[in-house]
Amino acid sequence: MEETEKVRTGVQPLTPRIRRRRLNSDSKWGLLMVTPYIIHFIVFVLGSLLASLYFSFSHYDILNAPQWAGLANYKKLFQEPVFWKAMWNTVYFTILFVPLQTVLALILATALNQRLRGLKFFRLAHFVPVISSWTVILYVSDAIFNPRFGMANSFLLKIGLEPQKWLQDERLVIPLLVMIAVWKGIGYIMVIFLAGLQNVPSDVYEAAEIDGAGVFRKFMHITVPLISGTTFLVLILSTISTFQAFEQIYVMTGGALDASSAGGPNKSSLVLMIYLYQEGFTFLRMGYASAIAWVLFVILFILTALQVTLQKKWVHYE
Amino acid sequence: MKLNRFRKGVGYAVIIFSSLIMILPFLTTLFNSLKTYAQYTAFPPKWFPSPIQWSNYSEVWKLGAFEQYTINSVIVTVLSVCGALISCSMVAFAFARLRFPFKNTLFMIVLGTMMIPPVVLIIPQFVIFKSLYMLDTLTPLWIIEWLAQPFGIFLMRQAFLMIPKDYEESAKLDGCNPFQIYWKIFLPMCKPTFATLAVFTFMTKWNEILSPAIFLTSKENFTLPIGILSMAGQWSGNEQYMVAAALMSLIPILLVFLFAEKYFVQGTNSSGIK
Repeated sequence: MEETEKVRTGVQPLTPRIRRRRLNSDSKWGLLMVTPYIIHFIVFVLGSLLASLYFSFSHYDILNAPQWAGLANYKKLFQEPVFWKAMWNTVYFTILFVPLQTVLALILATALNQRLRGLKFFRLAHFVPVISSWTVILYVSDAIFNPRFGMANSFLLKIGLEPQKWLQDERLVIPLLVMIAVWKGIGYIMVIFLAGLQNVPSDVYEAAEIDGAGVFRKFMHITVPLISGTTFLVLILSTISTFQAFEQIYVMTGGALDASSAGGPNKSSLVLMIYLYQEGFTFLRMGYASAIAWVLFVILFILTALQVTLQKKWVHYE
Repeated sequence: MKLNRFRKGVGYAVIIFSSLIMILPFLTTLFNSLKTYAQYTAFPPKWFPSPIQWSNYSEVWKLGAFEQYTINSVIVTVLSVCGALISCSMVAFAFARLRFPFKNTLFMIVLGTMMIPPVVLIIPQFVIFKSLYMLDTLTPLWIIEWLAQPFGIFLMRQAFLMIPKDYEESAKLDGCNPFQIYWKIFLPMCKPTFATLAVFTFMTKWNEILSPAIFLTSKENFTLPIGILSMAGQWSGNEQYMVAAALMSLIPILLVFLFAEKYFVQGTNSSGIK
């Protein structure tokens, strides 16, 4: 029997010994092939996490070896008014940005989720800001919001209102940055929603139509609950990434020209990441900057945990 | 039927209005890049440039720095894309197809590290690259992509899992070792996922600002996004050049997007969000 099988397939049958040998060879290749990730994990994740934690309890200026400082960095951090200002700015930014972008992207996706002509063009139009770097966005928004010669001020004057200083105005800077960020990112979130919407079976809508439900009621009672899984993920991911917002504020409020001046007029747009960047890389207070990073980490961890717990309350899976 | 027409009408209205909001600022910027300085700073602004100053675009190149930034960006982006494709696909193949000790633990770690905010890792990264004498070189910007980032692993693994087992069985019978199976059979079969990962890495790296801002100090090493910003002083009184430079830096990625839109959308939907 064994003999015929061998002849037929041209291989030895899988005796336990051969099976083990094959497994060993698999193991060898498997471990060899995951080596890049193992190095990545040991050096850039585990090692870095531990180093970062250690730095946050030390005074470290890069040039000299870190000196253990106990809780000094954290104590200083919580007594520092600039830290609390940065914290408030970050929270304010996120509270404005995340709901606004999510709601608008969902409305757009619902509008796009039917057989319309020129879909490809519409999608491209919404993706041009997504694929632009913040440097490009800086010049695009400058065309509109330049305090001296921008289109927005020209428009305000025309309808008889005062011209504004826009990004140089302490009160306007965050709402304006949020508006620009929504404008830039909405195409991306829209496509994610579009994928979610395409999973909603169309017969649900048809049934609702027979019952006489209008566009608005269908949206509120079918679309919104049925894609709450997608909405949930969008909310988590955008909250987490918004809390770490750096590039847009660094570029849009002048940090790229002079890092110490980043954060807008009177530090009105100084968010945690900009604060971290300045402390760490401009003033070389790496220990203090690491403490900021760990505070941010803990907040993000709590946010994620909170959202995962809340998810059970309101997300409907099919 | 009537309701359906009404719904389509509303859909068109919303989407055309929103497309205009997306495109008009870019059109305004494009026109700004073709103005003279006097016209660029005129108030109230004129929308359309006259005369159309095409030379703004060629002037940008004459200053030399822009050319250097472009070369730097190309180097970083190309090496990053190659690194991401090779390392992620190799690691993903092992996770999808091979059996080895600690495999499941390691894969849980991959998923877990996707949750770690990059913020906590920046400072140690800076220290590591400093001790390797790689600061103020382009190396830190691309070398990290050669170490298999979790998003790419996840994406490629999904693609490899879809391939029927018969392919590797028959390759094994022909005497291929796992690496050969990966290289000769699995890679060619996953071209669409490859394209997705390539487009994503390209976009991230071409536009990246945080890492270059941290790792680079000499202007001649800057990549385009921070390079253009650093030209501000040099060009005061000629800011229309900077607008032209910024728009030129958008062209490569716009072309990639136009040709690979399908893959871009795929990547968006498989980035763990679904």
